[in-house]
Amino acid sequence: MAQATTGTSSGAGIYFDGRTSARQEVTVALGETSLRIFAPAGTPLAEWPYDDIVGLSAPGATLRLGRRGGATLERLEILDAQLGAEIDTRAAYVDRGGLRQRRQRASVVGWTIAATVSLLLVAWFGVPAIAERLAPLVPAAAERKLGNAVAMQMRSILDSKRMGVAFECGNAAGERPGRAALDKMVHRLEAAALLPIPLQVAVVRRDEANAITLPGAQLYVFRGLIAKADSADEVAGVIAHEIGHVAHRDGTRSVLQAGGLSLLFGMLLGDFVGGGATVIAAKAVLQSSYSRHVEAAADLYGADLMVKAGGNPRALGAMIGKIGGATEPGMTILLDHPETKARVAAIERVAPPPAATPFLNAAEWSALKRVCSG
Amino acid sequence: MTLEAGGTLTGGGVRPPDVRFLGERRSYWRLFVRGALLLMVTLGIYRFWLMTDVRRFLWSNTVIAGEALEYVGTPLELLIGFLVAVAILIPVYTGFFLAALDLGTVGRLSGLLAFAALGVLGQYAVYRARRYRLTRTIYRGLRFHQDGSAWRYAICAVFWWALTALTLGLAYPFQLASLERYKMRNTFYGDLAGRFDGSGFRLLLRGLPMWLLVMAPLAVTVGAFVEVVDWRALADALAQGPDNVMTRIETGNPQFADVILFGTLMTIASAAMAAIFYPTFQAMILRWWSSGLRFGGIEITSRLRTRQVYSAYVRFLSWALLFSLVAGIIASGALYLADTLPGASGPGREIAVTGLGLVGYVILALGYSTIYRATVLLSLWQLGMESLQLSGLEALDRVKAIGKASSPLGEGLADALNVGGY
Repeated sequence: MAQATTGTSSGAGIYFDGRTSARQEVTVALGETSLRIFAPAGTPLAEWPYDDIVGLSAPGATLRLGRRGGATLERLEILDAQLGAEIDTRAAYVDRGGLRQRRQRASVVGWTIAATVSLLLVAWFGVPAIAERLAPLVPAAAERKLGNAVAMQMRSILDSKRMGVAFECGNAAGERPGRAALDKMVHRLEAAALLPIPLQVAVVRRDEANAITLPGAQLYVFRGLIAKADSADEVAGVIAHEIGHVAHRDGTRSVLQAGGLSLLFGMLLGDFVGGGATVIAAKAVLQSSYSRHVEAAADLYGADLMVKAGGNPRALGAMIGKIGGATEPGMTILLDHPETKARVAAIERVAPPPAATPFLNAAEWSALKRVCSG
Repeated sequence: MTLEAGGTLTGGGVRPPDVRFLGERRSYWRLFVRGALLLMVTLGIYRFWLMTDVRRFLWSNTVIAGEALEYVGTPLELLIGFLVAVAILIPVYTGFFLAALDLGTVGRLSGLLAFAALGVLGQYAVYRARRYRLTRTIYRGLRFHQDGSAWRYAICAVFWWALTALTLGLAYPFQLASLERYKMRNTFYGDLAGRFDGSGFRLLLRGLPMWLLVMAPLAVTVGAFVEVVDWRALADALAQGPDNVMTRIETGNPQFADVILFGTLMTIASAAMAAIFYPTFQAMILRWWSSGLRFGGIEITSRLRTRQVYSAYVRFLSWALLFSLVAGIIASGALYLADTLPGASGPGREIAVTGLGLVGYVILALGYSTIYRATVLLSLWQLGMESLQLSGLEALDRVKAIGKASSPLGEGLADALNVGGY
């Protein structure tokens, strides 16, 4: 026999043939190109070519071997370290030192990090770009519907004192002149803005100096904002800024962006050992970066609109400067960023028209101040 | 085998344990600490590799009657299963999103519908994921496998969960027994059929004292409310609007504040009771469950001690405390530095502080979950396994191979729906 002349080694092993669970004590002989398994009586049980042998997970010092491709679940276990080392040198896919595994792991880690970077790039550049291109394609009717759904949710959050209908100002008898003044102001801006869909503006009983825009051109001015304003033009400036959000379809865009981000981060990346925490953190950072650009764009639009409507654009800057310092945490929809000074400076650069007409006269302005008095 | 007569101790000496766990705690820690770091930089994509490593470690270090288990699943399979699940779930989620926008009945019901549908799908995933894990488990050259309908299981499971909720947990033992019977009836090692012999009623009897101790404070609270509060006066007070509502409640119900205080204290007592008994509860379930497992003539008994489970939790609490202490010191140091550094002011500083806060939050969340897995979960596996005694092992010499490897879709769904297990 060839074995005898080439001086191959042999030793003991435990063999499972993959057809039954019987445990067989066997002799393992290492041939030139293959490993042979013999029953104690000397009957050959199996012959495994070295290229077919693969190392499998096993406890401690045991070397567990199987066939590559996994057509059968035959297993051979070697407890003798010497014999194990000899098999390791002959079979390319047996990896006792773990070198192959470490290399594989390093490439997995490398590629996963690369995938993460590309995912972040998509989230940073791709998602806003896609949302920007998709937002104008959303039909006005769908946008209005979306707005109504968001408005329902928004109201249930904002209307914390559960006032129902009275949450909106301007409906009581004493409040109607204020409502009329607001309408006059909004009409002048709307006429200059030439929006594709009609605006809906309401003043609501919230004491924060803030205003929000929902998809479908729905605008909520908080009464805290009117209280803080020193002139009607300042209120008009903020409304012009919010009309900027409408014209840029920021509400729809932010819904699309939020959806895109949840899809990217929530579905593709999931939860194991609190990996979800990482996802939430990444989302928060990205979302705040989106809103920064959006606000700056709305500022410029608002200032230009003020000029077009024949008003003073500086009033918007003045108002932003005023409420920038007093932004409450958690209520930072209008001003959720610290660079108030830079924003005001950008608005100052828009040249006011030679003769700016105030939006309201003194009587109308004092009526607007009382729009929530009733 | 003659252990039935003599138990564990025979005249001559100690019989070697039937199941041993050889895994070193330190290797497990290393696995998880490295895994946590990689999860952080890969935003969680690494989890398929970590999960596979963990299973390989647990399986291959569990030695049953002299032979170690083997896990042959691969991370790539999990990744593919997950991608398939995503492909299935995206249209489902989109549908629910559109339904929620509808202002009519559909919109109002959509939340409920989504909850029910995802509940059924989650249980479906649980069953399919179990099938994947079983068919990737090899013992003595044969694989385990699982038959049965995952949809049927899912519907039964949702029904049982609803019943358990309605009975305030009293149906839970019967739920466990019934679902486990279904799972084990369809579980096979080669051609050796499994079954489950645990009795829900026995578990109920054992758990009842704990249930009573946790529920008693709540029942007393409800009793106090019914006894003391004048409901009509309370309704009137609430109906008159939000201004001065507390004063009006006080006039109608002079003892209202006392009852609220009493209720709060009792709820805290109940929660504390639940926390204190939780390890006992867990040990009781694990012991009951393991002792009910059967494979053909092989019977399993668990000798798990409750004390051991408590010590696992003590270890968890001490590590978590140490970790919190270190994290707290580092955080206050960082905040102090941020305050004193010159030139750091304005928006830049605010962004930096927010960013650091987020990183800190991620590190804390991953840290606690790593500690929990490396202490409580590893200990439960080890204790649960090492406390087992097997009889009828001679059946192991004659089992024949049947069953094929199943698709990893269930694991993917379970992962996407956050209902995954080990």
